[in-house]
Amino acid sequence: MNRRTFLSGAAMSPFAMRLAQAGEPTVGWLPRGDDKVLVVLELVGGNDGLNTVLPVEDAAFARARPRLSVVRKGAHALERGLALHPALGKLHRRTKSGGLAVVTGVGYPEPDRSHFRSRDIWHTADPTHQKVENDTTGWLGRAADQLAAAGAGVPAAAVGGLEVPLALRARRVTVPSLERVEDFQWLAAGGSGPVARGAAVRGVVGDVERSAKSSDLARFVGEVARSGAALADDLQQALKRYTPRAEYPATKLARDLQLTAQLAVAGFGTRLVHVALTGFDTHARQLPTHAGLLRQLDGALDAFLADLGKHGFGDRVTVLVHSEFGRRVRENASQGTDHGAAGPVFVAGGAVRGGLIGAVPDLGDLDDGDLVAEVDFRRVYTSLLTWLGADSQAVLGRAFEPLALFAK
Amino acid sequence: MTNPLAPWRPTAGDPFDLRKVGHLLRRAGFAAPLGVRKRLVRGGLDAALAFVAPRTAAVAPADERLEDVVAFGKIERLRAFRAWLLLESAHPLRERLSYFWHGHFATSNQKVQDPRAMAHQLATFDRLGVGRFDELVRAICRDPAMLRWLDNDVNTKRQPNENFARELFELFTLGRGHYTEVDIREAARAFSGWHVRDGRFRLLGHLHDGGSKTVFGTTGKLGGDDIVRLCVERAESARFLARKWLRFFVHPDPEPGEVEALATVYRREGRDVGATLLTLFRSRLFFSAPAYRSKIKSPAEFVIGTVRLLGGRGKPAHLARVMGSLGEVLCEPPSVEGWHGERAWLSPASWLLRSNFVADLLAGRRGGLSVDPRKLFGRLERPEHRVRAATNMLLDGEIDAAARGRLVELASAQSGSDHRAACELLHAVACLPEFQLC
Repeated sequence: MNRRTFLSGAAMSPFAMRLAQAGEPTVGWLPRGDDKVLVVLELVGGNDGLNTVLPVEDAAFARARPRLSVVRKGAHALERGLALHPALGKLHRRTKSGGLAVVTGVGYPEPDRSHFRSRDIWHTADPTHQKVENDTTGWLGRAADQLAAAGAGVPAAAVGGLEVPLALRARRVTVPSLERVEDFQWLAAGGSGPVARGAAVRGVVGDVERSAKSSDLARFVGEVARSGAALADDLQQALKRYTPRAEYPATKLARDLQLTAQLAVAGFGTRLVHVALTGFDTHARQLPTHAGLLRQLDGALDAFLADLGKHGFGDRVTVLVHSEFGRRVRENASQGTDHGAAGPVFVAGGAVRGGLIGAVPDLGDLDDGDLVAEVDFRRVYTSLLTWLGADSQAVLGRAFEPLALFAK
Repeated sequence: MTNPLAPWRPTAGDPFDLRKVGHLLRRAGFAAPLGVRKRLVRGGLDAALAFVAPRTAAVAPADERLEDVVAFGKIERLRAFRAWLLLESAHPLRERLSYFWHGHFATSNQKVQDPRAMAHQLATFDRLGVGRFDELVRAICRDPAMLRWLDNDVNTKRQPNENFARELFELFTLGRGHYTEVDIREAARAFSGWHVRDGRFRLLGHLHDGGSKTVFGTTGKLGGDDIVRLCVERAESARFLARKWLRFFVHPDPEPGEVEALATVYRREGRDVGATLLTLFRSRLFFSAPAYRSKIKSPAEFVIGTVRLLGGRGKPAHLARVMGSLGEVLCEPPSVEGWHGERAWLSPASWLLRSNFVADLLAGRRGGLSVDPRKLFGRLERPEHRVRAATNMLLDGEIDAAARGRLVELASAQSGSDHRAACELLHAVACLPEFQLC
């Protein structure tokens, strides 16, 4: 019996059996070799890409940003005259040791400077899409529809307690928004919280003897019900048995990523996760705000990657860090930056080939004061979807040339 | 051989009881609270059928509300409106048939992209669904949502599109194997020019192929209504519908003799759907043991039915969302074949969601869900009595000794507030496999 038969309605929980047999459960009991997980971490508000991946050797940079370019002191050198923001020290180490790719100049033609519209474009993967309807789907949702086995756990999830983002809107699968592990409980009717261990209702659901005498249909339902209750229990157990193997900082993003790690490690069939970090709309007094956000990203993502690595999941999980747009090259009068266009993305994970991909931003060739997109964001999506095992053409509507993000 | 549709008659040993009324209301409607069921038991089968299909004018379709929904133009609003109609069940059989026809003429707003058109299609089911089948089909052939859904709005004399004609034969009136590809091509020509303009049906003469066609061996300058007539008059159409109704209303695996018997009733009743089904609902077959609890509740049957069984409340929009999370998004059937239903409805994850929905309803959490605690058990104290009340409420009082024993054990061990204990007991009953069955 494998996980799929379990989740699709088999009577007994292999996890419980494994627990009984093995004593100490091996985390990673579930995912088969191809069960990869894609986590999309969205920096909401428009991350200032130029102050994230800095062209430190370009005099035009200091000229365009007399105040904001000071962060180049203490920046972590990459190559070709680029450096990461001083707050990204941990992620910088990962670019050297492998596992973190920096892709520069990612965007789409005719950039839209509206937060909403540009987010819609990134979420639907469709720059031509004019209006989001109730039934508009997102790229991750379409991938989930494609990858989800019938009735299997939670194939995709929005972590962090926000609304399910457009990116995760699917046709076939139901995508929950999760803030807490408790969301997966089998709820008791009297009072709050889950059905207790020794609750009498368990006897009703688990009545195998009675089920044997039932009609074929009632027996089928009985088995499904037992699996459902076991599913909740297993997950609660698995999540409980998960102990972080890295130290997570005390931030909201770190909590969200830790729940993501729990889901991945628990093997609930979750293949696609969306997490958000908000606050990047830095129109004024940008330096401290931006540094604080990047520090949060640095600490949380590094802990997440370390944790998964130590659980033996390093190369099964890939994280895409992106934002709806970069910001204008020239700083504004309030020591901030306004809405811009193309920007860098990070792709991180054990399977990722580390280093710099893409050209050094050309500050001499601006489009209406903005960087020109060199890499269509759907090329990044294509590589990620292919790595995940999805049909990228079906998800994106057409073929895009993939990027060499992954080590073969 | 006796006619399976011969009327069932109560006897001393086989009375019209909670089991029968529960079965009738689950199949011909969306269940009803215990008080209503007890009253109908006293009134007998005739009273119960009059409840299921009332004749008063007071239960005309909710046109005013429909206008609201249409004006709003949001699909969520339409879903909530449909959930509200089921929850109210002013005319149980009508709501039931509209639900059936929505799965039969399965049209998805994903392609239609027009909640108003979807609302009007569903209103057509409300208006004509209990009447003559051929009249309903003629209306559907002019339905803007349907014409768009199956591409008939691009079916022209010069470039015929067969999509609608094919599904009209295969899925709506005849079933596979009872027509030829030539029949489809010719029928498609008859529907050419049946388009949508400004949201309304228009027969555009210059795009219509008025030439001679041959369908099922009949030759002439056939138009769309001629095709409908040729379809519904075929013997196979009666059998096709009879089989589908037996599956939907009686049990998933009907015998050929049962199909033939119901097809005969349908023809005799002049293709009147309501009259045909009322004969079915009076029959021995309908009340036979193999029919009882022979189907898995659909999400709508589960969600709406549970709220109604308990005389509870819930915001229609929330109920529609729960149905969606259980795999039944109204106005978005997975394909023109409708929902696959039966065992495909239930997976461990969806069972968990169903169980949690009942828990939320009982505990009064989320989405305006609530039940009146006083309505649950009153002052019943003995565990046996409480278990009887709970199983009457949710399971027609039909439960085997083993399960009853477990429930009595559970009720005996209970402490804590009356309301909490009542919730726990009802939740346990709802967790029995029988509660997932219709």
